[in-house]
Amino acid sequence: MFDSLDIGASGLAAQRTRMDTIANNILNARTTRNAAGGKETYRRKFVVLAPGQANDPSKPGVHVQEIDSDQTAFRKEYDPGHPDADAQGYVSYPNVDTAIETVDAMEASRAYEATVTMMDVTKSMINASLRLIA
Amino acid sequence: MFIDRMLNEGSTPLLEQMVRFTAARHELIAADVVNISTPGYKQKDLDLGAFQHILAERAEQRDSSGPENVDFSDIDQEVDEPRGMLFHDGANRSMDQLMSDQAKNALMHNVAIELLRQQFQTLELALKERVS
Amino acid sequence: MIDPTSNLAVTRASIPTAPSTPSGAGETGGTSFADTLKKSIDEVSRLQQDASSAVEDLAEGKTDNMSGVMTAVEKSDLAFKTLLAIRAKLMDAYDEIKGISV
Repeated sequence: MFDSLDIGASGLAAQRTRMDTIANNILNARTTRNAAGGKETYRRKFVVLAPGQANDPSKPGVHVQEIDSDQTAFRKEYDPGHPDADAQGYVSYPNVDTAIETVDAMEASRAYEATVTMMDVTKSMINASLRLIA
Repeated sequence: MFIDRMLNEGSTPLLEQMVRFTAARHELIAADVVNISTPGYKQKDLDLGAFQHILAERAEQRDSSGPENVDFSDIDQEVDEPRGMLFHDGANRSMDQLMSDQAKNALMHNVAIELLRQQFQTLELALKERVS
Repeated sequence: MIDPTSNLAVTRASIPTAPSTPSGAGETGGTSFADTLKKSIDEVSRLQQDASSAVEDLAEGKTDNMSGVMTAVEKSDLAFKTLLAIRAKLMDAYDEIKGISV
């Protein structure tokens, strides 16, 4: 019974990491420089989920195996006046589609809520068992 | 001996098995819920119908041959095999189906516990010989 | 072994009785209290059997009628508690009678 709480905790952690990644994508949807100031267009990141808990993949649960970069091509916009424009006048913008990111965020949020509900149900079942001796 | 009979008569062993089964099934449903967006994950479940069938069989055996001869506690080996791909078309259950299964399972669990508690309470009452 | 019910039958003969038997029906003078008590015990046993079968049916999935099962369980519980209370009163009465010095 208490294992279900561990399973729920792993789910919450995984969905939270996913939300963080999605938020990062949305905020950097137009970023054309890297952290040091050099020219590097931001590449969309996504989480790779795998079953099993983070510290013990044989136990049931879910965890983030890695955070991968999306290799689809950058979006090119014609803007010769931009400081980051290339020789032909095109600026490479990140391969982030905010509409898709928003839908992903909604799905992650729904999964998070479902996990919280599941943990509530687990607690009610454990409390019911306690009443056997009370 | 007779204490065994007293503690195992009536619906008590059936309720005990129901509690154990619903607890085991809850864990599987929990794993299914958190893995709802994991690609390639096969959902697992315990077969409620098979469990109830075995329970009915054991109860009949006990009714015909007496409570000492029938053991309910080995049911878990027969039913607790988590089955992936429980559904014919291979489609996994949606989040709504999972939540509804989970709610039903939790209700059965709590009902069984409540009834079990009432059984033990009646026994205690008889031993105390006073109503309060 | 003194039978408390036969003692009560003796005392009952000298006291005008009001019918306050557990079955609640207006008994005529022909039925003894002992008979009524035995019938009540059978009744409680029957109610407990019914409750037990109802719960078994619920566990086996043969019925969906949760409220029916709960009602049966509650009825058997109340009947048992009533019988227990009557027994307690009987034992108290017996103790009292035993204490009467002859």
